[in-house]
Amino acid sequence: MLPLPWPFDRDYMQYALLAGLVVGACAPLVGGFLVQRRMSLLGDGIGHVAFAGVAAGLLLNIWPVWTALIAAVIAALGIEWLRARGQTSGDLALALFFYGGIAAGAVIASRASAIGRPANVLPFLFGSILTVTRGDAIAVCVIGVAIVATVLIAGRAMLAVVMDEESARVAGLPVNALSCALAVLTAVTVVAAMRVVGLLLVAALLVLPIATARLLAKSFRGTLIFGSVVGVIAVILGLAAARLWGLAPGGSIVLVAVLAFAVVSAVRPIRSAPTSAHDH
Amino acid sequence: MTVGYGHGPVLDRVSLRVDRGEFVALVGPNGSGKSTLLRVLLGLLAPESGEATLLGERPGHLTNPGRLGYVPQRARFAPDLPATVSEVVATGRLARHGWWRRPRDEDREAVLHAINAVDLGEFKDRRVGELSGGQQQRVMIAKALSSDPELLVLDEPVAGVDAESQRQFRDSVVHLIEQHNGAVLLVSHELGAVADDLDRVVVLKQQVVFDGPPAELRSRGVSLGVHAEDLPLWLEGLD
Repeated sequence: MLPLPWPFDRDYMQYALLAGLVVGACAPLVGGFLVQRRMSLLGDGIGHVAFAGVAAGLLLNIWPVWTALIAAVIAALGIEWLRARGQTSGDLALALFFYGGIAAGAVIASRASAIGRPANVLPFLFGSILTVTRGDAIAVCVIGVAIVATVLIAGRAMLAVVMDEESARVAGLPVNALSCALAVLTAVTVVAAMRVVGLLLVAALLVLPIATARLLAKSFRGTLIFGSVVGVIAVILGLAAARLWGLAPGGSIVLVAVLAFAVVSAVRPIRSAPTSAHDH
Repeated sequence: MTVGYGHGPVLDRVSLRVDRGEFVALVGPNGSGKSTLLRVLLGLLAPESGEATLLGERPGHLTNPGRLGYVPQRARFAPDLPATVSEVVATGRLARHGWWRRPRDEDREAVLHAINAVDLGEFKDRRVGELSGGQQQRVMIAKALSSDPELLVLDEPVAGVDAESQRQFRDSVVHLIEQHNGAVLLVSHELGAVADDLDRVVVLKQQVVFDGPPAELRSRGVSLGVHAEDLPLWLEGLD
């Protein structure tokens, strides 16, 4: 146990802090690309399918994180496949998985209860960061390293793809592989964040810090860095508030992220819009 | 080559060649097959018969994709895109140095050179969404130039942009041809800014109906420069 000050002086708070910091820092790294691709709710869609995975794990008596991860990756690739084929728009593809996932989760969880298996899905829906174990924290750290490494290596190419897919294809970039990599990264982030804020709030950590960062940064790199900083601050303040007032940690973290957006929106200088003032 | 989408040919036995150092304009009325021809050239569509060769290789399968620069039609950036001019132009360089590699000094220099070639040096750290439409189009051209292309393909690059941006466009294209011996294929209805620099004009309407120097087109009473509206009117009147 590290000699951290209150409220992070207990073991369980330190594991919660570690997992939260990693998720808070890494989720916006993925969210930055999703927002630019107008797929801000991809995390939500994947989260709902992950809920079905959690329920399947409870039914089959398998660690639900594994089944959630499998369901999330399948959903992410399925949504990307539908979007890339152009048969459905991005938001319609999301809606299909969104409602299909939550319905399947409800049905599977009810079946688990019916055969006498405990199907307590609430910790997965709303987070259970205070029950994060040392093993969980290590797993989240490994996922965090994978996300940072992927963004460092493929971030520039991913930016090219989310800006203009056709030009990226002409430039010889592996557009399909990069799109799938982004989808899988999102799925992995969703499962990592599941313990922190819960599946119902998971998209918030992907998107809200980026929404705030876009108000502050002028570069894409700066947006990702600011987003990570906002995510980390939200986790620290949210966890502290949860310990101080006995609040739900997941909800507290997300509310701090919402508050950060509101404050920055209110005080930031108005960014100049495209005008003919500097037309050449 | 002949190209179609399953409902008859859009391009019927079209034969066209662009050589190194040439500046060629491709024009034609709406629905004449210009976009289809570009899609084949870019490797996004396969011909039904015949073949296309791009820089000696199969389109879409260039050993070094940076040899081709492409500026898409009506390219505009999302107003809220949080990326600087430098960041956007640098994505064009990925085709040359490999998308997984970290940029080196020579890549950063090439990006800066491309930005300066379209006279946007003072805006390099500005968000692209804050630039005017003409400036954004120049960013797209800089992005295409940043990979040091041997062939630059531009799809309606000056449609609706201001006169200064048209002049900058003309200068950057001429720079590519004169300094780097590159070739340029320009699809546009607005050839006024480059009328004096073109080597050939190719008129397309399912087939190549004209392929020759601008002077020959002018001798038919079609003006590319002073009366810029002549060309679109003439194209729409083609049988």
